[in-house]
Amino acid sequence: MTAVLARHGFPLAIGALAAAFLGFFFLYPVLTVFGASILDAAGTAFTLRNYAAVLTSPFFLQALGNSLIVAAAATALTILLGVPFAFCVARLPIAGKSVLLGLAALPLVLPSFVSAYALVLMLGRADIVTGALRAAGLPFESIYGLKGIVIAYTLTLYPYVVLPAVAAFKSIDASVEEAAQNLGARARTLRTVILPLALPSILAGGLLVFIEALENFGVPFVLAEDKPILAVEAFKLFVGETADNPASAGVLGMLLIACTVIALLSQRALLARRRYATMARRPTPLLTPRPGLRLLASLYCWALVGAALVPFAAVVVISFLAFKGPVLQYAFSLGNFAELFGRSYRPLVNTVMLSLTAAAGATLIGVPIGYVIVRRRSRLSALVDAVATAPFAVAGTVLGIGLILAFGHGAVILTGTALIMIIAYVVRKLPFTVRAASAILHQIDPALEEASINLGVPPLATFLRVTVPLMLGGIVGGSVLVFVTVASELSSTVVLYSGRWTTMTVAMFQALEGTSAGVAAAAATVLIIVTVVPVALVYRLLRRYELSAL
Amino acid sequence: MTAIAIDDVARSFGEVRAVDGVSLAIRDGEFFTLLGPSGCGKTTLLRMVAGFCELDRGRILFGERRVDTVAPHRRNTGMVFQNYAVFPNLDVAGNVGYGLKARKLAREEIARKVERALALVRLDGFARRWPHQLSGGQLQRVAIARAVAIEPEVLLLDEPLSNLDAKLRVEMRGEIRALQRTLGITVVYVTHDQEEALAISDRIAVMRAGRVEQVDAPRAIYEAPATPFVASFVGATNLLRGAVVRRDGAIADVLVGATTIRARVPPPLSLGRVALSLRPEALRLVGNGEALPQGWRALPGTLEETEYLGPVTRFVVRLGDGLRLTVMALTPPACSGEVAVAYDPARVVVLEDDA
Repeated sequence: MTAVLARHGFPLAIGALAAAFLGFFFLYPVLTVFGASILDAAGTAFTLRNYAAVLTSPFFLQALGNSLIVAAAATALTILLGVPFAFCVARLPIAGKSVLLGLAALPLVLPSFVSAYALVLMLGRADIVTGALRAAGLPFESIYGLKGIVIAYTLTLYPYVVLPAVAAFKSIDASVEEAAQNLGARARTLRTVILPLALPSILAGGLLVFIEALENFGVPFVLAEDKPILAVEAFKLFVGETADNPASAGVLGMLLIACTVIALLSQRALLARRRYATMARRPTPLLTPRPGLRLLASLYCWALVGAALVPFAAVVVISFLAFKGPVLQYAFSLGNFAELFGRSYRPLVNTVMLSLTAAAGATLIGVPIGYVIVRRRSRLSALVDAVATAPFAVAGTVLGIGLILAFGHGAVILTGTALIMIIAYVVRKLPFTVRAASAILHQIDPALEEASINLGVPPLATFLRVTVPLMLGGIVGGSVLVFVTVASELSSTVVLYSGRWTTMTVAMFQALEGTSAGVAAAAATVLIIVTVVPVALVYRLLRRYELSAL
Repeated sequence: MTAIAIDDVARSFGEVRAVDGVSLAIRDGEFFTLLGPSGCGKTTLLRMVAGFCELDRGRILFGERRVDTVAPHRRNTGMVFQNYAVFPNLDVAGNVGYGLKARKLAREEIARKVERALALVRLDGFARRWPHQLSGGQLQRVAIARAVAIEPEVLLLDEPLSNLDAKLRVEMRGEIRALQRTLGITVVYVTHDQEEALAISDRIAVMRAGRVEQVDAPRAIYEAPATPFVASFVGATNLLRGAVVRRDGAIADVLVGATTIRARVPPPLSLGRVALSLRPEALRLVGNGEALPQGWRALPGTLEETEYLGPVTRFVVRLGDGLRLTVMALTPPACSGEVAVAYDPARVVVLEDDA
């Protein structure tokens, strides 16, 4: 027994801590949501009536259908647009390539509903671009509806496909391609060798898009109008005007989780028979296409990156213009910001405080987990890995509802506190820090730690003196990702926030619900600054680790 | 300076018995090599001595002190890793002084010892260089200097030369041997390269599948292998399996296929299945009917392959019953087609057949 403890003591301790944290703040809330979905109104007897009610309601079935259609369409579009982009960046001489890649990754850290809001500002029923399109004789109604949601997702989520695909295209060893060409396949090399080898990475990226599109709350909230979407309807059922209805909200939450799990499992099944180990010993050479083709590729890449960033730029510009009521005036003004901060500075302070705390928490919990997963391989650490990644599959809205159901009454009451928000953020973003830590650890030779111990430095001191400094780049990269994604988080925030802990995203959300478009634009600009500045500061670090962290 | 006693140690990983009951007595100041193919347990055994691998059973002692229960950072061993494990975030002096700092020595003393250790590995003047500015050979010297700077009781080297190119490998192994003689330190050296092991060691333990097959001086390992595995793993050999069909004092006739091979054998050998080891360089290619040295015998056959290797030439001869023998010769003899392989029965090694 003591031998077992000596051999497995550290991973056991970390595993127990991780299991306690995730069990208490992730599994228990999710199970509570599940419980609410299968109990009657009194909360005592088992019933399937809630499911029957939801699944026979045309409205909710439409919500389910809409959510799936939107997520599937966004996944297909990001793959269709992202894979050629990735191939061009990885294999063709594109002008300004490193800047291009940096800009391509940017939407990942920018709040997606800001992009959606910008689309509304430009392409709403009576807005600038809409007017111009109509003047040009195009029968354009407005951006609202499912098509708008798909467009917003495509423009903000395509980096999820691009980044792993670029890495995959680059990691195919030159000799593999040469072998294919040597065997007589020239044009077919792309279809028969390169694409199949990159497929696992592309599908992994596509899966992230699907999950993100399914769980996102802000984008459909801005763009759906009367079209029901699962994540939004679950929220409305729970805190909506009508009456809180945890049973039906629970059913919708379970449906959301079921969709993600099915997507995850089908991706696994699809890739089970395709496992390729490719190690690029010799980097693949750049192709040299004809100048015309090369220009076309450059144009395509820059156009895609531009299209994704234009909404953000537009929102920043608009935030500095004057509004007269809801009507935009073409004059420079700081009025929107004055109005935003005239109400209160709290949201900004809250956003920074909560994001910093969540980043610190996710780092402190995630790094040891990542260490155990990589350095102490065992069945236990594999389980910890799986549980620590699971929060990816649960929509923020659902986790928020679960936390309120679990900690809104009884022995531990956390609702209305900052703590419950931080807990939600740490749980949701834990995969980032775990992945970042394990990715960088894979690159650190374990012999370095052993060398230090061998030279007389005890294990814990070795971890602090050798391992942590070498991991620092990855750890900082992961922490910054947590900070920026928490700063632009809406789906669990909107369920969990209380007046005292209003965040920037909530301020913008409230401005959207009202009619203060100017204030919303100003809030969006502030959010963009809060997320872009730290990313720009650690850009070099992030560029190395963003892939592994996502 | 310390003798190392390894007493019936074992360790399994799941179903695999990585080290399966090994006992070794390594002498004070000895250059001792663990040799074997990958997966034979040699690295696991070395890591047990360093403390990076727990024992399922058995004991390890440095002199009189039992160490297998001591934490690795308190064992005072100096270890050199296969891929150097030089800290990339410290300069050369920082690396070499790392263990001295952990021992809380005075700054001047650390500087003095670092300088001396660097001089030992001929890296004077490299103290302020960074690891990324060094070549593979220089990194390996830093790793060695770092390990000897703490004046360890034993120096452990885990395939230290396997990442270097062939020429540097030969040069470095000479230096490691010279360093060991200078310091008089006990060394345990792990390698899968039999030539390296023969060149560098006082004694070699040949390992297979977690067990020690033979412990001996290099010459005895090569010339008097204890098992067919040792005979074939150390150096190249013609390993033949057959049965003793006739015994007359120290002379035995062994039937291999349809070929009878005569061997001069040590007395305690019963009739039955045996393995024979005939080193290619102990064989000679002769023309049919050519005169042989006193006591030699010849096996007629056909020359099937000739490979010119520079210093030596390698021949494959097919005997009448299909048996193939490899022969090495310094100069290509002037014969072809029908030839004979001549051998000295005194140099045929007879082994118990373990297959």
